[in-house]
Amino acid sequence: MSTAESASPITRLRRRMGSAVSVRPLTAGLVLFWLWLFGRLTNDYLLGDSLGLGRGEPFVPEAPFAAAADSAAALAASVGPVGEPILWLAGGFEFAAEAIGYLPLLAGGIWTTVLLTTVSVCLGFVLALPLSLLRVYGGRTARWAALSYTELVRGTPLLAQLFVLYFATSLTQVLRGVPGVGVGFVPAQAFWVAVISFSLNSAAYQSEYLRAAFDSVDSGQLTAARAVGLSKFEGIRYVVVPQGLRLALPSWTNELVYLVKYSSLASFITVQELFGRTSTLASETYQYTDLFVLAAALYLALVVTASALMDRVESHTATVGVGHTRQ
Amino acid sequence: MTQPLLDIDDLYKSYGSEDVLEGIGLEMDRGDVTVLIGPSGSGKSTLLRCVNQLTDIDSGTVALDGTDVTRPEADVNELRKQVGMVFQDFNLFAHLTALGNVTLGPRKVLGMDADEARERGREHLEQVGLLDQADSYPAELSGGQKQRVGIAQALAMDPELLLFDEPTSALDPELVGEVVDVMRDLADRGITMLVVSHEMGFARSAASDIVFLDDGEIVEHGPPEQLFEAPEADRTREFLGRLETEHEGTP
Repeated sequence: MSTAESASPITRLRRRMGSAVSVRPLTAGLVLFWLWLFGRLTNDYLLGDSLGLGRGEPFVPEAPFAAAADSAAALAASVGPVGEPILWLAGGFEFAAEAIGYLPLLAGGIWTTVLLTTVSVCLGFVLALPLSLLRVYGGRTARWAALSYTELVRGTPLLAQLFVLYFATSLTQVLRGVPGVGVGFVPAQAFWVAVISFSLNSAAYQSEYLRAAFDSVDSGQLTAARAVGLSKFEGIRYVVVPQGLRLALPSWTNELVYLVKYSSLASFITVQELFGRTSTLASETYQYTDLFVLAAALYLALVVTASALMDRVESHTATVGVGHTRQ
Repeated sequence: MTQPLLDIDDLYKSYGSEDVLEGIGLEMDRGDVTVLIGPSGSGKSTLLRCVNQLTDIDSGTVALDGTDVTRPEADVNELRKQVGMVFQDFNLFAHLTALGNVTLGPRKVLGMDADEARERGREHLEQVGLLDQADSYPAELSGGQKQRVGIAQALAMDPELLLFDEPTSALDPELVGEVVDVMRDLADRGITMLVVSHEMGFARSAASDIVFLDDGEIVEHGPPEQLFEAPEADRTREFLGRLETEHEGTP
């Protein structure tokens, strides 16, 4: 019996409140970031102007920060060379003011990056699972075909694959004909070309991670499954795959993190995801440094969220004796 | 004349150019406990694996309850429902708890619903004295406990025949006893068992038959008192003598 079950409701509540209060600053930052993002998207795309806050209008006024920057700069000028640190402070305020102004304009881009990455990584996984199983359990031809696909995809640049799909095939035309594409909240065809390209690419990498994981599941496990009377397919499904997926989780997290950043390549085929949106804004305002520093921070927030979530998944599915378990 | 439960006839098996089994013939009736002994490499484990078709045979027949299970059209999964196997290195499903291990087969192979499988699984764990470890994962169990879960797992399928492939060889000496006790209990309850083991205590007290296998052939076959006390073949005598001096009773 665990202690949680025998504890009184009050003790349990206190324990829960206690853990809520002692949230780590990193988690708090991430929660703030996502609250802001969803608040932003809700305000800009769902509520319209009904709340009195226009689309793209910052939640926090930027004027005080700009004013603070100005007065800090003035103070720095008045004290001469000793004022250097104050000047840095002024720079910080100025950046904050800039960021407050630009952030709302990047929200849509962030959301596109999130969609692009999650949809691609999920579709990629759906493709990678059979690919990896063919690599491990398939016949000679199937193994060879799966290996060829993996090597072809991993051996050529992602940007080249993206260009081939976008410029050299009629995929764009086909997608344009699909009803619903580009209507309302459904992204336009270029987004879907990027999704297809990233999924095909990610499938190759993920299948490699999964293959390694399935390979490392002890062969006695499948033998035992067969001995119980499970077919080979059932043995793989109920015994090898559940263990292999746990083993593959850490490297799978890696793939997710890579894809968050590689998704920026979609900007080359006109998708206005975070990187594309930042580039457009920068070319309009010439604030290259500030905007790309801001974009880098936003990518970091996405990546850290992805690792934190996968960390959760890992500890939730952790099983003593299957792969690495933390004490 | 009643039909034997297991009827192996003229069984041949080779790996490449190496002949592992050369014309094995063996019959077992319901309730029999047959212990296979013999030097390593004599083909004991291969014979066991031929019975539940984990290994394909070259020629001969293996019949279970009058049905030839080695016909190409025979359903191996149907056969394995009736023949349980306990492995030397346990081979418990690492991602499942003890109870999960015991219920996987009944649920997925016999199509039992989850509640019934769990209830019966608990009974089988109780039989091997491990009900208190139902929620433990294999990595949390000792070797002896793992093997007892392995036995419960095989029992859960309600098999006609249980195969034991050196069930105590991977165990620390002090853990052998608990596994042997469970096996002896099964023998007492009339479960038909084909056991590869050099556990002489078990062979003497629980076996109805001892089969001495050497170089892929059955050299001698008889009740324990005859085979241990008055072996006919020189090879048997020599092997038993070696076994005694090497292991002094408990290998």
